[in-house]
Amino acid sequence: MSIPDYMQCAEDHQTVLVVVQPVGIVPEDEFFRIYKRITSVAQVSIRDSQRNLYIRYRHHYLPENNEWGDFQTHRKVVGLISVTTCGSAKEWPQTSDRFHCQKDVFGATLYDSRLLVFGLQGEIAEQQRTDVAFYPSYDDCPDVEKRVEDFVESIFIVLESKRLDRATDKSGDKIPLLCVPFEKKDFVGLDTDSRHYKKRCQGRMRKHVGDLCLQAGMLQDALVHYHMAVELLRSVNDFLWLGAALEGLCSASVIFHYPGGTAGKASGREPSLAHGALTANGISADTSSEIGRAKNCLGPEDIIEKYKEAISYYGKYKNAGVIELEACVKAVRVLAIQKRAMEASEFLQNAVYINLGQLSEEEKIQRYSILSELYHLIGFHRKSAFFKRVAAMQCVAPTIPEPGWRACYKLLLETLSGYSLCLDPKDFSKGSHRGWAAVQVRLLHELVYASRRMGNPGLSVRHLSFLLQTMLDLLSDQEKKEVTQSLENYTSKCPGGMEVLTLPDGLKLPPVPLSKLPIVRSVKLLDLPVSLRPHKQKGLLENNMSSKSPFIYSPIIMHTRGEERTKKIEFRWVQGDVCEVQLMVYNPMPFELRVEHMGLLTSGVEFEALPAALSLPAESGLYPVTLVGVPRTAGNINISGYHTSVFGVTSDCLLDGLPSVRTSGCVVEVIPSLPRLQLSTSLPRSAHPLRPSKEELSSSVSVQLFNGETQQLTITLENIGSEDLETLEVTSKTCNTKEKLFGEFLSWDLEEAVSQLPLKPGQSVTLTVNVKVRLDFSGGENLLQDLNDDGISVTGLPISSPLRQVLKPRAETKPLGSESSKTDYNHVKTLEAVMTFKYSGGAGKMEGYYRDLSLGVHVDVEPSVFFTRVSTLPATRTRQCHLLLDVFNSTEHELMVSANNNQDLVLHPSECQRMAIQVAKFDFHTLPQPDQEAVRYTNPKLLEEERLHAQASMISSTLGITWNIISFDGEASVEGVLNQLVLEHLQLAPLQWDVVVNGKPCDCDIIADCKVGDAVPLEVKLTNRSKNAVGPFALTVVPFQDYQNGVQNYDLQDAVTFIGSNTFYIDMVKPTENSACMGALLFLYTGDFYLNIKFQDDSAGQGKELPPSWFGLPSVHIKALEAPIEAGA
Amino acid sequence: MLTRLKTQVPLFSMNSYTKLREKLKLSGLSLASTHSHVIRLGRHSRHNSKMAVCIAVIAKENYPLFIRSVPVQNELKFHYTVHTSLDVVEEKISAVGKAMADQRELYLGLLYPTEDYKVYGYVTNSKVKFVIVVDSSNTSLRDNEIRSMFRKLHNSFTDVMCNPFYNPGDTIQSKAFDSIVSAMMVQAS
Repeated sequence: MSIPDYMQCAEDHQTVLVVVQPVGIVPEDEFFRIYKRITSVAQVSIRDSQRNLYIRYRHHYLPENNEWGDFQTHRKVVGLISVTTCGSAKEWPQTSDRFHCQKDVFGATLYDSRLLVFGLQGEIAEQQRTDVAFYPSYDDCPDVEKRVEDFVESIFIVLESKRLDRATDKSGDKIPLLCVPFEKKDFVGLDTDSRHYKKRCQGRMRKHVGDLCLQAGMLQDALVHYHMAVELLRSVNDFLWLGAALEGLCSASVIFHYPGGTAGKASGREPSLAHGALTANGISADTSSEIGRAKNCLGPEDIIEKYKEAISYYGKYKNAGVIELEACVKAVRVLAIQKRAMEASEFLQNAVYINLGQLSEEEKIQRYSILSELYHLIGFHRKSAFFKRVAAMQCVAPTIPEPGWRACYKLLLETLSGYSLCLDPKDFSKGSHRGWAAVQVRLLHELVYASRRMGNPGLSVRHLSFLLQTMLDLLSDQEKKEVTQSLENYTSKCPGGMEVLTLPDGLKLPPVPLSKLPIVRSVKLLDLPVSLRPHKQKGLLENNMSSKSPFIYSPIIMHTRGEERTKKIEFRWVQGDVCEVQLMVYNPMPFELRVEHMGLLTSGVEFEALPAALSLPAESGLYPVTLVGVPRTAGNINISGYHTSVFGVTSDCLLDGLPSVRTSGCVVEVIPSLPRLQLSTSLPRSAHPLRPSKEELSSSVSVQLFNGETQQLTITLENIGSEDLETLEVTSKTCNTKEKLFGEFLSWDLEEAVSQLPLKPGQSVTLTVNVKVRLDFSGGENLLQDLNDDGISVTGLPISSPLRQVLKPRAETKPLGSESSKTDYNHVKTLEAVMTFKYSGGAGKMEGYYRDLSLGVHVDVEPSVFFTRVSTLPATRTRQCHLLLDVFNSTEHELMVSANNNQDLVLHPSECQRMAIQVAKFDFHTLPQPDQEAVRYTNPKLLEEERLHAQASMISSTLGITWNIISFDGEASVEGVLNQLVLEHLQLAPLQWDVVVNGKPCDCDIIADCKVGDAVPLEVKLTNRSKNAVGPFALTVVPFQDYQNGVQNYDLQDAVTFIGSNTFYIDMVKPTENSACMGALLFLYTGDFYLNIKFQDDSAGQGKELPPSWFGLPSVHIKALEAPIEAGA
Repeated sequence: MLTRLKTQVPLFSMNSYTKLREKLKLSGLSLASTHSHVIRLGRHSRHNSKMAVCIAVIAKENYPLFIRSVPVQNELKFHYTVHTSLDVVEEKISAVGKAMADQRELYLGLLYPTEDYKVYGYVTNSKVKFVIVVDSSNTSLRDNEIRSMFRKLHNSFTDVMCNPFYNPGDTIQSKAFDSIVSAMMVQAS
């Protein structure tokens, strides 16, 4: 007996063994169908005796083992059921012969046998036999179970008769010695009459009867017999049989205590009726019947003790190894039920040591597997896994000609739980569960290799990926290299993917995304470039806001809304435009990592990801990677993860599963598509960005101009998107406020461009913009040092320009050479402005979105001319005056300055010349007044500035000063140079005085002629253009003679006489009205006379407020001539 | 390509069978009587009384914090030995029962003997396990000596835990602890 039955358990002792075998050719599946039906009859209750018979079926049993039938009767084959196919009556005799042959194999021990014949229809050659049953086919055999039951009953009858036969065998007859096969030769020549020998025979027979009783369902009797056998055998030191008797005692007790069985299978074994109503712990409610039983029955502790004893006796015999092993297994099962794992492990440890001689590889595998199972049973999962793994290794031992890689792999998979390893990376990444890394790595390596040898590289790839993903931190650099290399090798045959692999036994291997190759630290969605960012129309935005909540502000934020906000990103993406997501990644591997097809995984919106390939250097630091894609529909897009392909393994890494990734929200709104404009200009692009870079610009141009120059800038806008451009608005903003700017910097006419809308994709539109630079032309006084200052300035007051005030102290402290002063004036000023093109169209416009395109215009302004000093000189007429400008050429070229109705002035570089322009005084009242509405809301200072500006620009345009350098020409404005005093001089007084002599209007440079002796009428007319009523005034006319030598003679009482009063009175003059007063003079002598009309302030207090310049009355020059009549007379 | 492939996969190399056999040996599975005879011979030659052949510290969650063995070349074997011994440790702890947990003795005694080694266990109150594997031929080691070894180990481990720079749950890399362990593994004589 060499092959142990590892499945044995204690309650098998009460079963009878029936072998079911096919005879002749029986299809395997048909046989097992019948076998299954037969085995369903595992327990038969005998009609008369209230006892149960348990049957153990085997379809394969070694006759060798059968020889141990006397030792333990449950090992004895007592029944045989043969299954055969018989096509025709002719074959029947042959079949019958075969059946008999088979019977002979177990012949010695058989109580009864049956033959089930399938396929034979109709005629049955022989007479009806009880041990043969005929069925037409395997499908048509309704009474198989019934037949088996009958068969079992017949076995029972034989068993019962044997039991009674042996039990009642009294000492009168000679008791035969029962022995095991290897003992037979030991007893040759032994004295059969000795007391010792007889006792031995008796003891063995008692034990045998005990076995029979147990089988026949008489537990109580069995216990009694076993006890007696133990006593008898102990006295004769028959250890093998003593062990068997003890084991029998244990088995019977186990059956008593644990009617549910110890095999762990709940199949069919119901609590025996013969034992009465037993509860699980073996104590019956009916205690009276228990007392007798309990006396003989072993307690749970005793069972183990006796098992130990029995096993120690078996251990004395080398040939009883199988018995010992099986006893160990049985004891372990009992202990497992008792939940005494420590003791069970000791039994198992012992079982491990039992040497059964040379085992075949298959037996070894079986042995390790069963050890593993038993360890599992007692909760030693690690030990169980260890043996399972050993079994797996045994499957592929080099001594085996055909290694069973499949079996090996299957067994290895079963060990996973023992090493607390789960092949789902999701479970692995959870929590701090780590397990025993060293053995886990080993196991994974073995799984990889086994699956490869199995011819399933897909599995290898999956396992290797898992190894890399979960054990990365534990692998050494060398191992990392090896693992990745082999992974690459495998994937060249079978690329790894994200599908779930299902093994034939139903185990599912979830996909392993390699989220650590590379490791992603953060995911950040990027806004579109400035020029492509969509903006919402203001009005529509407000509408949206108000519809969300009726409150302007509420501290109560709905939870969902709050969450939405944290996840949702402020900016928007546009359908059809390329969007970017920035990942910060790093490579944990000690070598360069190539990542291919890295793309985005999204949901919510149809998205076309544009994968990228990257190569990360070994153990790189954080490395930014930008992944791009194009949303194809509008809506909310959720960036759920990313896709990679590393070493041939494609992975979909979802951000939800990666808690270490920092992200500032992954949901962004995609709005419907908008047109896209590309801007090109006629001017070169600017290299340097605009200084106040608070706004990002799509592009900028730069140009260099002389102060006062005008340049045309042609802007071409091309629609490079796929939507029609429907609206276009242009605005500009000057962003440099340091320099004072006169006139409009950028001006354009949009009409023509707008008329071309809508602009189809691919078309373009042009827009011409005038860039006009007119900065302050005023210059500092330090230049005056170079000039011959003749003190012409009538004002005598400092010219107040901002620049001058800055420079003045410097001029005082340091005598400036012409060189240094020149550099001061040559410094280039810059002007910057931003043009914004607001455009929209397509579906995005319907939703109220538009786009901005901004163009920065950067102008370096080189100085051209400076007006270093300005002053006025009264002209000969009161309504005119001379404006004196000191013009300085700060350029390095010859420059020509011209003004309206004036001759040109040529200036050499750094030359300064005075230029006098005669101008009519200005009537600023004709300037448009700001409307009342605006006046109310702006502060007075600003209004004043505005007024000054308007006046200055009027003067400037009247003067029309232009300069010309070689081929450039531009304007020069005096706006900045003019100060209050000069302005006053240039202004027409609000009170307009007209003096009329002899009916002719008179002014300073006009000489009125009159005759001596004639009365000369003099009229003084006042027109009030001021806002208030003025007067009354008194005017006194004082005649005098100017000798042109500085002497003026006022003593002219005898030369000039007044007709009437020499004082005129003018009453109050209301605004816009006029008043005149008349008088007359009489010249008595010829000569040149001047009339000085003096103003006498009569109005109390009122006149004093009026400035003296308002009373600029012209002096009258009258030439009195000899009267011709007199001469004639 | 083919040659590369072969060299790259050292998982089941030629000596895998010998390794396997060693594993069996350690778990006491003698393949045949002849083998066990060989082993017995080997055991005599090894009879030189190293105090411990393997010392391991295992975290509460049953992963190794520290493991060191004397025959360095066959470390994995001890990994398996110690790993499987955890079954017994757990069983012993749970056998004591909840109520008695406070008074439980930390020393667990012999966990299980194998053909070549004896495995002893010790569990701190915070469920950190110490396992010492000694050569089963080393009869000079008494239970008391094993106990004192565990006590020394425990003290040193406490020092490690007191280190503010040590992160509980990380593998132990303390030099002081290492030297204590080394002292236990050197020859006793």
